[in-house]
Amino acid sequence: MPLVTPALAAIIFTAGAVSGTLGALLGLGGGVFLVPFLNLVVGFPFGVAAAISLTTVIATSSTVSAGRAGRQLINMRLGMLLEVATAGGSFLGGITAQLVAQSVLQRLFGIVAVVVAIIMLTRLRRRNVILDPAADPGVLGGRYYEDESGTTVTYRVKRLPVALGASFIAGNVSSLLGIGGGIIKVPILNAWCGIPLRAAAATSAFMIGVTATAGAIIYYGHGQLEPTLAAAAVLGVQLGSWGGMRFGASASAKWLKILMAAVLFIVSAMMFARGGR
Amino acid sequence: MTPNGRRQAGAERLERVVGAVLRAGVAASSLCLIVGLLWTIAAGSGGIPSSLLQIGIVVLLGTPAARVVVSIAEYVAERDWRFATLTVIVLLELLASAVAALVFNRRL
Repeated sequence: MPLVTPALAAIIFTAGAVSGTLGALLGLGGGVFLVPFLNLVVGFPFGVAAAISLTTVIATSSTVSAGRAGRQLINMRLGMLLEVATAGGSFLGGITAQLVAQSVLQRLFGIVAVVVAIIMLTRLRRRNVILDPAADPGVLGGRYYEDESGTTVTYRVKRLPVALGASFIAGNVSSLLGIGGGIIKVPILNAWCGIPLRAAAATSAFMIGVTATAGAIIYYGHGQLEPTLAAAAVLGVQLGSWGGMRFGASASAKWLKILMAAVLFIVSAMMFARGGR
Repeated sequence: MTPNGRRQAGAERLERVVGAVLRAGVAASSLCLIVGLLWTIAAGSGGIPSSLLQIGIVVLLGTPAARVVVSIAEYVAERDWRFATLTVIVLLELLASAVAALVFNRRL
């Protein structure tokens, strides 16, 4: 466990703030940036970095979902059902993370970073909505008020096994690598399962709290979660994502996506360089 | 009320309750973490500031679990046994993680 100094806490707070801002601007959690920074730049063991990041993921999920609850954008039924898969995946990932070598996790992170970068650059944007307000959304579908079009839209959930499988993998990757996993779930829910992007993102952000908790508890029990550093990171991420959401509405994210995809390719290469030794 | 209307009313109440639990959890944990962190920086770790940080982390980790528990209560109140069962499974998975944490803890 690293020695905690005020300077280190300040560095972690700043890193959290930058990750939170980037995450809010790009529409993903900041974990994919925070974990490599803590592991590769600050030099924390991978497990310590993942534990801190998972804690920030839980805080972001709770904050964002508390703000959205009551607007029907979060599909709670679908979320609860898919959580069965994500929490199971996360539980297994959390145990696996304690048993495999750091180099394996670094190489896996390298692969996931490339996947995230590619998804970010080729993000699908299907609308998937039924404009007839009387349409039946089924047991799992939803209905919400869409700001852009100013109408209430309805959607049905298709290919539930695909949604469950994607959720299981996202949960697994989440607690193995310390990221939220939304970047894996959301595009699949949107492209294949009939869920509009905003509802998929809101439901995923809602689920991620439970997913990350299932993983974080295991890191906590293993003594890899340092409370002072986690506190600094959580507060930094809260501040950063608040700021990011303020500026996010006006800023065009296209150049930022390209820049951050480039950063993720570099992160991937560094993870492979470290993990290959 | 039609079955659909009742489901809609139940869903809205669930969202309100879950939103309230999440807000309370975020507020309580953030307060403990801010005070604990500043106190630790000012006076060093140990004693009350370290306890505050631990409490903040436990409340943070407990918040999603708490919203799972209130969801179970809401689904049971609505006699929606299918979703009550699914949510109980999620809670059991979180408990399994806690048990795994204890197992790893003992090995240290």
